[in-house]
Amino acid sequence: MMLKIQEIREIIKLIDQSSIEEFVYEHDGTKVHMKKPNGNVPVEAVVKTVVEPAPKVVVKEEVPQAPAKPASAVQEVKQEEKPKQEAVNVENLHKITSPMVGTFYAAPSPDSPPYVKVGDKIKSDTVVCIIEAMKLFNEIEAEINGEIVEILVQNGQLVEYGQPLFLVKPE
Amino acid sequence: MQSDTRKKLLDLFSEANGDFISGQKISDILGCSRTAVWKHIEDLRKEGFELEAVRRLGYRIVSTPDKITENEIRLGLKTNTLGQTIHFQEEVTSTQKIAHQLAHEGAKEGTLVVAELQTAGRGRMDRTWFSPKGTGVWMSLILRPPIPPQKTPQLTLLSAVAIAQAIQEVTGLVPDIKWPNDILMNGKKCVGILTELQADPDRVHSVIIGMGLNVNHEREQFPEEIRDIATSLAIEKGEKINRARLIQEVMLKLETLYRQYLQHGFMPIKLLWEGYAISIGKEITARTLNGTIRGWARGITEEGVLILEDHDGAIHYIHSADISV
Repeated sequence: MMLKIQEIREIIKLIDQSSIEEFVYEHDGTKVHMKKPNGNVPVEAVVKTVVEPAPKVVVKEEVPQAPAKPASAVQEVKQEEKPKQEAVNVENLHKITSPMVGTFYAAPSPDSPPYVKVGDKIKSDTVVCIIEAMKLFNEIEAEINGEIVEILVQNGQLVEYGQPLFLVKPE
Repeated sequence: MQSDTRKKLLDLFSEANGDFISGQKISDILGCSRTAVWKHIEDLRKEGFELEAVRRLGYRIVSTPDKITENEIRLGLKTNTLGQTIHFQEEVTSTQKIAHQLAHEGAKEGTLVVAELQTAGRGRMDRTWFSPKGTGVWMSLILRPPIPPQKTPQLTLLSAVAIAQAIQEVTGLVPDIKWPNDILMNGKKCVGILTELQADPDRVHSVIIGMGLNVNHEREQFPEEIRDIATSLAIEKGEKINRARLIQEVMLKLETLYRQYLQHGFMPIKLLWEGYAISIGKEITARTLNGTIRGWARGITEEGVLILEDHDGAIHYIHSADISV
């Protein structure tokens, strides 16, 4: 799955507001590498595509924990920033991803309210959406206890296998 | 669910295929007295079976009632697993709902839920499915396929092929399939399939295939608003169809195709599907929540995804849409 420009923009924003210093995302020969010179300067993003003919089957998303900096200094910065940054710290957010290619439905029918909205508390067996492909309907359960922080896709949107649908703050 | 003795008795009559079975043979196989055999036969008669009893020859089944309880479905069922566990209920809200519950409780693959009447038959997106008593086949089948979740949508095309084959076998009518799995006769819908998946990201728990077949409806029995878009097999054929026989054939075709699919993948199913496909090569409209695309249906991919070429020559891969020709 290629990251869309809005998604990259969103990631930059989130990283900008967080204490993350470096972010690497690699999938299907596409690599996104973002790095902050230090915790306070806005990030610069580098997107490069490397030739890699065989597509990987598994979606891998890595948020490296250890930046290439003297460990002790970084630790200190992180600890200072953590309390106020918690709400937008992507490191702590869990992604609910799509198990298959299909259409994202936020509600059981066009007239019903959505299964969940931002701010809702969810349990692991809470149904958060339906993914439909070729008239097969898949009720997606949260698989985690927490709170919906962001809904990343629109009702009726085609989503890819492994695409993040929701950001959840785990409890 | 019925007793083992009843199951054995019906299996015996299934094997006999309309021929006589001696009372002695029945009592030997069931392991009960001749008097007990007579009692079991009387029970079947009470339930509407017509049985002929001839001295020295024994018993044979002349006709089965126009019912679809476990009795009628089991008598003549040729499958190994699909439909071998039957949950029949006279009246349900929706067979799909019950199948979900059974699947959750660990029901075996092949478990079939059948009802005479659905009070809240469901279609897609919570649309209702008109399912009055005694006219149709309303059933839900539980499968537990050892395939990754992202492949399961192919099972909806497989189900459509199985039902089309079964209709052809039982009625001689040749139905059309509209992508992905609507079954039509002369452009009117006679079968709807609703498939639902329960899965972890990497493992399928169950696939529940809900099937609604309009079998013996008269035209007047359809509500006016769907009379022009819905039909039944009896309307098309001009005579009543034995529903239990149709269920048995659907189970048999499903089992055969499902085995083939697990062994050889989607390719053989794709070829069969294309044989029934109505919209391929034609100009169609694909309606999605996000808009409408009009163009030529060029075929389906090896995954079952619809290939649509619009008027600018751009190719669209359609994973979900309502298709109209």
